[in-house]
Amino acid sequence: MELAENIIQKRPEGLSSPSKKKQRKYQHTLTKQTGAKCTIFPTKHIGICNSGLVNGLSEEVVYEHFSKYGKIEQILMLPGKSCCFVSFDDIKCSTKAFNNINGVLNIAQYLKPVFLSFVENIPESLIEANLKHDSDPPNGLIILENFITDSEERAFLALNDFNRLGSSLKHRQVKHYGYEFKYDINNVDLNCPLEEKIPKECDILWERLRIAYPQLIFVEPDQLTVNCYKPGQGIPSHVDTHSAFEDPIFILSLGSAIVMDFKNDNGDHHSLLIPQKSFVIMSGESRYAYTHGITPRKLDILQTKAGLTVFHRAIRVSFTFRKVRNGKCCCKFHSKCDSYLRTHEKSYTAFGQLAERVEETHVHKVYENIAQHFSETRHKPWPNVVDFIKSFETGSLLVDVGCGNGKYMNCGQNIFQIGLDTSISLLNVCREKQYQVLLGNCLRIPLLDNVADGAISIAVIHHLSTEERRFSAIRELLRILKAGGRVLVYVWAKEQKHRNEKSSYLKQDRKNRRCEENEAVSNEKLTLVDGVEIPIHTNRTQFKHQDVLVPWKLKKNSGKSLNTGTDESQTFLRYYHVFKEGELENMCAQFNSKLLHSYYDQGNWCVILEKK
Amino acid sequence: MKLLTHNMLTSKCMKGVTVGYPLKINAFDVKVSEVDFNPEFVSRIIPKLDWNVLYNAAESIGQVEDMPKSIVDDYENNTDFLKKVHRVLLEVEVINGELVCPETGRKFPISNGIPNMLLNEDEV
Ligand SMILES: [Zn+2]
Repeated sequence: MELAENIIQKRPEGLSSPSKKKQRKYQHTLTKQTGAKCTIFPTKHIGICNSGLVNGLSEEVVYEHFSKYGKIEQILMLPGKSCCFVSFDDIKCSTKAFNNINGVLNIAQYLKPVFLSFVENIPESLIEANLKHDSDPPNGLIILENFITDSEERAFLALNDFNRLGSSLKHRQVKHYGYEFKYDINNVDLNCPLEEKIPKECDILWERLRIAYPQLIFVEPDQLTVNCYKPGQGIPSHVDTHSAFEDPIFILSLGSAIVMDFKNDNGDHHSLLIPQKSFVIMSGESRYAYTHGITPRKLDILQTKAGLTVFHRAIRVSFTFRKVRNGKCCCKFHSKCDSYLRTHEKSYTAFGQLAERVEETHVHKVYENIAQHFSETRHKPWPNVVDFIKSFETGSLLVDVGCGNGKYMNCGQNIFQIGLDTSISLLNVCREKQYQVLLGNCLRIPLLDNVADGAISIAVIHHLSTEERRFSAIRELLRILKAGGRVLVYVWAKEQKHRNEKSSYLKQDRKNRRCEENEAVSNEKLTLVDGVEIPIHTNRTQFKHQDVLVPWKLKKNSGKSLNTGTDESQTFLRYYHVFKEGELENMCAQFNSKLLHSYYDQGNWCVILEKK
Repeated sequence: MKLLTHNMLTSKCMKGVTVGYPLKINAFDVKVSEVDFNPEFVSRIIPKLDWNVLYNAAESIGQVEDMPKSIVDDYENNTDFLKKVHRVLLEVEVINGELVCPETGRKFPISNGIPNMLLNEDEV
């Protein structure tokens, strides 16, 4: 690959001493993060000490660069970590890779070189945790391999000429039969059936399915969506709208195998190979409670106990067959059920007029009251935020929108930082350290357009109580940036368990009693006004709802210098909108900006955007 | 509030205000404290500034001293000039006072060095 050759520069004669020092520091971090023992003697196993999933390094990139030096046995990417591992079949290859890549190949964040270390072995516990999500399909998912013959595959492919198709989404080409699926409302319009019905060539599938799987109860579909994916294209994780379609859903895959990811609210993650010519039945839990999606990339890497298999993608055409639903969905998977949510949870449109009052009472006033305690407990900066700030060159202007007690205000080197917050108590903490701060609202940043080189919004936007306001907050951040300026956004994730790893928010529950699902979770709600209720979240548990009040307990005496007037312990309720996977990205996609990086870190969904 | 901060501040988020820049400064307390001088930092900041706004702001609070009215040629290599700019940008700070919107006359108080840019419900 040309790109790779350009990145690898000539290896310097021995590493200079600051690099050696850096390397030792990185090795130490690797051991601390993973428990792997570093060694100076070559082994089959290499640790990449300074880059991993949280830095945007992907398995694909690791494979691309390391596989040049020999057969790879395993690549281990660790969720939430800034390191990863590569194991080769033999030491000769790993040594060659080490010598060519260490300190030279610029694939770490901000195009910095990666630092490697041989490790004695990869801790077994890490391997097992990583294998968990690869094993069996979720409940209700059945993959029937070789469902059609080669000549039938050709006949199906001939039904559509994708070069002629007009309708194209950003990521893939689409054609609908029977009914059009409207992506703006995520539903079909029952009153407007399409002229073109499902081609009769598809009829053979239903006869065959009855024979192959006689116990399956189904009605023949009346809606077909054909998608064409070129290598590198994908589809974001989604659940097919419950109220739009019946159960089950069928997928016929043509042209290429692909890996599809299935995830549920509990953090279970299954990466499944969907083979070419296969027929997938997505029913029950897999249809209702799991999201499915395809990561945009050119190759899929599947890791099983048997080792590592790489599939290079070709053009894949999928036929998704669905039966349009008449009426409501009555499934028991409430968290993903639009019918249930519409009738059972009060619509937050009524929230619109209340938004400012909710934020005033349950965000701004709370922070004023807990400022001192909050500041005492929020002094450890998150490393990936610090790295972002450090990536700005001398003389840059960086705005911290929602700076709080200013824990990121002195992270930059030779840059000018301005903080903005709505809490005067927290800003007064900033002033003790001479930081430049402004009292103001993130929806109306009192700065000129196109003025900042960078901005950060850490744990702020999730305090805004309508989608419109959250959207405006991102628009404000982009407004103050210069073209080419970058902004980092962190919002709290609904998923506090990601790829089977609990976030530190859940881990902090030392007794760990309440971490398990459905146990002792309060059903308490707070009524704001007639008809509008917000559930109160139980601390250190998974989120059950997206709009919640999170209690902050101020213990006795810790509030003595505040004007609470009492000496007793008090509970304050902070409003949060916790973000679902993909929600922040989708919101950002609507702006004229480039998504540079999106990741999960410390229980948050995070994006870096560049203004165009 | 340092004058570098002031150089970027606007009241344009207020209803009916179109530019809201520059904000006039009424300074009650001004503090000048020593800040480490970094010539590279100052050189890189200069092209990002609205120089006239900086000069007028410094003049209005009596802190211009002998900083030239316009940017000198080859300023990157003029340590003397950079030091003067450094002082005005980073060492001078308005601790108490107010900012005034040039279009509406709305006053934004500054106390403990913090400009209060919050708006009332009827101003947005
Ligand atoms: Zn449902």
